[in-house]
Amino acid sequence: MRRAGVLASYLVLALAAFVALFPLFWTVSTSVKPRADTFAMPPRFFDFAPTMKNYEAIFATRGFAQIYLNTITITAASTLLCVAVSTLAAYALARAPRFRGRRPLEVGLILTRAVPTIVIMVPLFQIASRLGLYDNHLMLIGMYAAVNIPFATWLMTSFVGQVPLALEESAAVDGASAARILWFVVLPLILPGMAATTIFVALLTWNEFLIPVMLAGNSARTLPVFIAGFISARNLDWGPMAAASTLAIVPIALVTVLAQRMLVGGLSTGAVKG
Amino acid sequence: MAKAGIRQAPSLEAGRRRLAALLALPAWAFLIAVFALPILGAVWLSFRNETLGAFVPPRFVGLENYRTALADPRFWESIGTTLWLIVAGLAVQLPLGIGLALLLHRNLRGTALFRTVLIVPMLLTPVAVGLMWRFMLDTDFGIINWALGQLMERPPNWLGARWPARFAVVIVDSWLSVPFVMLMVLAALSSLPRGPAEAAAIDGAGPVQVFWFVTLPALVPVILVVVMIRVVDVVKLFDILFIVTQRGGPGTATQTLGLLTYNTGFIFFQISRAAALGVLLTLMLAPIYFLWRRVGRTP
Repeated sequence: MRRAGVLASYLVLALAAFVALFPLFWTVSTSVKPRADTFAMPPRFFDFAPTMKNYEAIFATRGFAQIYLNTITITAASTLLCVAVSTLAAYALARAPRFRGRRPLEVGLILTRAVPTIVIMVPLFQIASRLGLYDNHLMLIGMYAAVNIPFATWLMTSFVGQVPLALEESAAVDGASAARILWFVVLPLILPGMAATTIFVALLTWNEFLIPVMLAGNSARTLPVFIAGFISARNLDWGPMAAASTLAIVPIALVTVLAQRMLVGGLSTGAVKG
Repeated sequence: MAKAGIRQAPSLEAGRRRLAALLALPAWAFLIAVFALPILGAVWLSFRNETLGAFVPPRFVGLENYRTALADPRFWESIGTTLWLIVAGLAVQLPLGIGLALLLHRNLRGTALFRTVLIVPMLLTPVAVGLMWRFMLDTDFGIINWALGQLMERPPNWLGARWPARFAVVIVDSWLSVPFVMLMVLAALSSLPRGPAEAAAIDGAGPVQVFWFVTLPALVPVILVVVMIRVVDVVKLFDILFIVTQRGGPGTATQTLGLLTYNTGFIFFQISRAAALGVLLTLMLAPIYFLWRRVGRTP
């Protein structure tokens, strides 16, 4: 009876794993299929001659290198900005039960997490186009950082909360200034939490679509916008599309595998607190 | 020493408060510049009749945009669509997420590997995921209908008919968010004390009874948090709808209120009407704001 239960559990988990991974497998396999085989019925799972043609087509697309580079630099810059700003705010929220503007800040963070981005994009699009900030890297970096601040602050608040207060108190008794305590006592202890937060924010930023589809033109275009461009073509070109998707997903898959403990730990910390 | 401590305490406390207020300033700057001011801008726009590339000189029109919105059947349809995605989505995601979390929580051998594999969907680029599902759901060349074709005579025309498309969006959204529900519940499970469940088992309760009367009630808080986050995220849902059903199609079958706002503003260039829709959308989330503060501080 007990053994049957274990077996059933494995069966269900294996089925779930199949459902979770199949679209990923199908994307990668479509990306290396010759064009005729992408439309073959019945579908060809393994019996095709792999080709790099789709990737060649993507890399030959004008501006693709620029787009990939944009995605990397904008993601890196806005992630660092977001984590820095959020860590400071999180320290305040975790350590000072009362300070000027604390409650409004808490309410503001919840509101901004809940407000649909499209609502702020309507006026921002107009403002950006009037001020010449359309297709501007800095504008995108600031926007990306802002939309992820609520999530990052929430995550960092729980990480700061785990640092024993006694450490800071004893440093204070020894005469260290607040800034010194923050830099030399607290920062080293929250670095793992900052790393987890950085990875999450980087993923969210890398994947962001609504902001760049509205605010990025030719010079600041990012990968998700490029990929989405495939559906406006009348004939859906599945091979190159799958290749572009794979190029967006591969860095994420690598990060997931390398940092999986951190990711699960990070989200769990937040969940327990919630 | 003790004397100095007593004298120092208030000033330390005051210093801490000043520091905290100072450290929060950068976050304030972002919240004001990117949220507060634009929302005020949206309110202002919503009282005018601006269009993108307008030839009519814009002027104030009072509540006209709101009247137009409320009189438009597409507005009410989009609210219905949003509610459908929320309710049907939760009906799929909660049981699956809780079920998978319970299985992982048994800590069978290989659990760590399964956990990694199962969280993958929530991390992937939604635009890429959306395109892939679109391909898989294709009526003629999609692998899903090929598989269904082995089982039934006429598999659904997923993206070409109203209700199949509405189910298709729920499927894709669930594929992306079941891992999130699972992770949240799993974390809550591992922080539950084992005592009550074991006591119930000793008293002769079967596994189903233990789950129903002991574990599930203890999970209620985390489930509430998950529900709120999912409601907010479905209301915000954009990329999946943009790709899978090409901005709410077929027709307006999967056009949520958020998407109607986008389409009004940036497909039909009625930016002031879009602003009014956005303001209504924000107001409709008001109950969530209050619940959120009550249930947890999770932004």
